[in-house]
Amino acid sequence: MRALTDAEVVARCRSHDGDAWNELVERYSRYVYAICVQGFRLAPQDAEDVFQEVFAKVYEQLDRLRDDSSLRPWLAQMTRTTCIDRLRSAARQQPAEEVELADVDHVLELVEEALTVRGALATLPETCQEILDRFFSRDQSYRAIGDALDLPAGTIASRISRCLERLKSAMEETEPPQRLADR
Amino acid sequence: MTSHDMTSYDMKRYDIEHLAELLAALPPPPEGWVAAAQALPGHRQGLDVLLAQAEHDAELRARLIGDLEAALTESGIEASPHLLELARERLRRA
Repeated sequence: MRALTDAEVVARCRSHDGDAWNELVERYSRYVYAICVQGFRLAPQDAEDVFQEVFAKVYEQLDRLRDDSSLRPWLAQMTRTTCIDRLRSAARQQPAEEVELADVDHVLELVEEALTVRGALATLPETCQEILDRFFSRDQSYRAIGDALDLPAGTIASRISRCLERLKSAMEETEPPQRLADR
Repeated sequence: MTSHDMTSYDMKRYDIEHLAELLAALPPPPEGWVAAAQALPGHRQGLDVLLAQAEHDAELRARLIGDLEAALTESGIEASPHLLELARERLRRA
């Protein structure tokens, strides 16, 4: 079945479709988490608070989104602002601590590109998606992946290699860089 | 996008190692975070119902003002910082 576009997910969320809300959170959970932890290097408790606050704001302010297909940049901006507010608040409480934001933009560029790669990953067969996600994103061992997917552990390395090649082809078919922005 | 940008973008895209790096750049959030965010609409609805009841129930209102976090938790509503702030604001306005 065709995956819903962001615009379709947003429209359904506005109609209080619970499945659409679950999809929106699932689709962007890694993105928001990466901005919090890699971009702004928030501590785990702060990252969790910001993560929940961002999705709460999205839920409450969805009607303010002018263009339904602009969910991704809107969400990115909201996450950045919420992270910065959190860091400022922490700096007020502990003025001795310096807030390091120097390389945030570089990390956020990487996160943006990573989300586009995940869009391409979603077009691969499910086994490939699972293998690549488990190995690279979840840092699982060959044995753990083999056990989870009922595959011989000795074949995992070659499967990873083949799946990466397929991902590369999928990326090469992608028009840079906006094609997946509306996923 | 300039031709220089296009070239560097394509070079990166075609690089398997870079793809692997990008896959590793988006790990899943810790367990429970996604489920908690997905449960937000339910908790928000529960809060709406509770605050509507409190308008006509002085005892409930006093309980909410006395210990909001405990009152929400007793009602099965997850007392996240955001929801607590929202509830406090609405109680102040009521």
